[in-house]
Amino acid sequence: MAGVVLETLSWKKLIALGILLLLLLLSFFLIGGLVAPNPSNVMVVLGTKCLRKGSHMQEEWFIPFGGNEKCDSINSVDEDRVYDEGISANQIVFSFWLPYMRDGKQLDFSRWQQMLLTVMQLDIQYDPKFPMVKGNQYNCSLLAFFELGSLHYDYYLINVRVPVEPYKGINMEIGSLMDIWVIGIHQNGGFTKVWVSIKTAMFPIVLAVLIWFWRRIMMLTRPPNLLERTLFSLGIAMSLLNLPLEWLTLAVDMPFMLMINDIRQGIFYAMLLCFWIIFAGEHIMDQVERNRLKHYWKHLAAVIFGCSCLFIFELSERGVRLTNPFFSIWITDVGTKLALSFIILAGIAACSYFLFLCYMIFQVFRNISAKRTTLPSMSSARRKFYLGVIYRFKFLMISTLFCAALTVCFFIISQLNEGQWKFMDQDLNLEYTSAFFTGVFGMWNVYVIGLLCMYAPSHKNKPMETDETSNEEEVQLTHLPSETSSVQAFAAKAAAD
Amino acid sequence: MEHVFYDDNYVNENLWKEGKQRMFNCTDFHGNLFTCRCRESAFIYALTSAAVAHSVARACAEGSIYTCTCDYNLKQPDGKDWEWGGCSDNAKFGHKFSRKFVDVIEKGRDFRYMMNLHNNEAGRRHVTTEMKQECKCHGMSGSCTIKTCWMRLPLFRTVGDLLKDRFDGASRVLPGRRRRRKFTLLPANTNHKPPGKKDLVYFEDSPNFCEKDTSIGFTGTKGRECNATSLGIDGCDLMCCGRGYKSESYTVRERCSCTFHWCCQVKCKVCTRTKIRHTCL
Repeated sequence: MAGVVLETLSWKKLIALGILLLLLLLSFFLIGGLVAPNPSNVMVVLGTKCLRKGSHMQEEWFIPFGGNEKCDSINSVDEDRVYDEGISANQIVFSFWLPYMRDGKQLDFSRWQQMLLTVMQLDIQYDPKFPMVKGNQYNCSLLAFFELGSLHYDYYLINVRVPVEPYKGINMEIGSLMDIWVIGIHQNGGFTKVWVSIKTAMFPIVLAVLIWFWRRIMMLTRPPNLLERTLFSLGIAMSLLNLPLEWLTLAVDMPFMLMINDIRQGIFYAMLLCFWIIFAGEHIMDQVERNRLKHYWKHLAAVIFGCSCLFIFELSERGVRLTNPFFSIWITDVGTKLALSFIILAGIAACSYFLFLCYMIFQVFRNISAKRTTLPSMSSARRKFYLGVIYRFKFLMISTLFCAALTVCFFIISQLNEGQWKFMDQDLNLEYTSAFFTGVFGMWNVYVIGLLCMYAPSHKNKPMETDETSNEEEVQLTHLPSETSSVQAFAAKAAAD
Repeated sequence: MEHVFYDDNYVNENLWKEGKQRMFNCTDFHGNLFTCRCRESAFIYALTSAAVAHSVARACAEGSIYTCTCDYNLKQPDGKDWEWGGCSDNAKFGHKFSRKFVDVIEKGRDFRYMMNLHNNEAGRRHVTTEMKQECKCHGMSGSCTIKTCWMRLPLFRTVGDLLKDRFDGASRVLPGRRRRRKFTLLPANTNHKPPGKKDLVYFEDSPNFCEKDTSIGFTGTKGRECNATSLGIDGCDLMCCGRGYKSESYTVRERCSCTFHWCCQVKCKVCTRTKIRHTCL
């Protein structure tokens, strides 16, 4: 690829652009950490034990609180009334109203809160028949309950019955169920607002840069090469991810939003992986003319195979939940095996991808060290030019590694921070998890913008293309960028070691 | 303050469970033990504040009381609402409520108040440290890129059991140096280390609880039921302070050979049994 912007850009402009992008990146982290609340919040609701009086066939809803709508309830299943009136398990309905009441007011869900997923926790009293080590209560694991991809309505009423069927043996040996807790996890409205604002702001910017990039390519006399097309696709994937579809959820019930977001994210990461492979491949300085997708079929197949495994898993988990919110693939043995096998296959694909990528980088590096020996034999002006290009490439590659390192670091920090539960409120409230999300999202935006700007074809003519026209020289020139990038990769590797 | 009344039952029930096997019987006191500075009162203070914290947290989760506040997670000057940042945990609210509600009585600068505050805090701490963290991953395709955690409230009985252990290991303290209106609590036995945040402390030795004591409103162990075969504190020898006991037999009709499904469908027979009751003289 001859004459990209990066090679012809002056130092001043390069530094200015770099600082601008860094500031943009920093502001993303700060917005997430200081403005946005935690991405999601939890609501622990204890079920009210309502009594049903009517016949068992009757369809009836029980409301846990309120005036005369409130159901007839008991405080505990071992209170005297239960024995005196002979209340049976089939008469007890655990009733939940989400969201709960606060400050004497009934809270209502806002559509900004986007989603609700719930987990059930059962309190089962100790029974001497089933001994345990310590304590008065069994340490029951959590049960996945349901997942809603949209919070279109203000309130949700849940009634749970655990009826006993002595002849079929249903619910017979489950112990004495004292309480059911429902833990509802919803996205925070504040986080959605910040998130959607970032998307709304970044979408036109990336789109504008993308259009500028494509116009530059169209202005060339030659057809766009593979790397340029890949970069353009990466830009499209980024724009797709940026598209602020969340605005629609405020008006329309869109339960498929969770899945759409996962798929958008998946497409972007798949595109990024493809880009890295093609970028490395196009810079191997051997005499093979690549520039065609079919030379990368092995590597791309790994990406596509891994992604389709995850896609099938996604469809069978979140896809099925569109029709049945209570579904989970993990509850049946067959489903668990199936889900695990898909995840393992995707993992194998990911491993083979990284092996391919490492091998390619190794190839680039090997060729570079071979080419490097010829560097001192060149003229001084030319060497200076080569070194300059090497340095600029270093700049870009370091920023790539910087992005990856930052992602990993912030992920670890947010995970550690989430693990410790702060009991008392702190004065300085830095939301690491939010900062991680907005920061990483902004970072990939900045990264794509940077790539689109740097790798757009330049209008300026390169100085060395003026006099020399020999075939050998041209071959060398076409491989120029790869040389530098691999040097850079080597430098980064050394730094990492 | 209906829920605090509800609490009262809560505490009584527990005290009764603990006190049944001890010399002091909580139903005999009618609240006067609060004025004593002994081991038993330390236990009552701790148990009360723990019960308030626990039951308020539970009631907030059930939505059965109206005083729970949202206590927004995010400190925002404006736009501070439920929609923006959600509400904080019930357990946090219960803890704060207990601190405000139970500690408010202890306003003086006296050493006794310091001690009571310490015991109150110790009780609440048992509730918070017994809570268990549970988490749920819900990131992309259910991965752990987003993890939300919450605290699982312990059974109050577990807290009560732990406090009972602290009661047995409570340490006697003396007022230490005064620091900014606060006394430091020094152990009476200099070989002991200073009491920790979760330890119960007391100042006076307990009355022997054998005889009637009008100053603390205790009626003595006369007439208390005891266990003739036990060698422990609930046994007739110790409980009756060597005064001896009388035994009588009585018949009782009670539920027996019960079978039940998961909760409450209990099928019982009614049996008539003859039992022997021992009471202290």
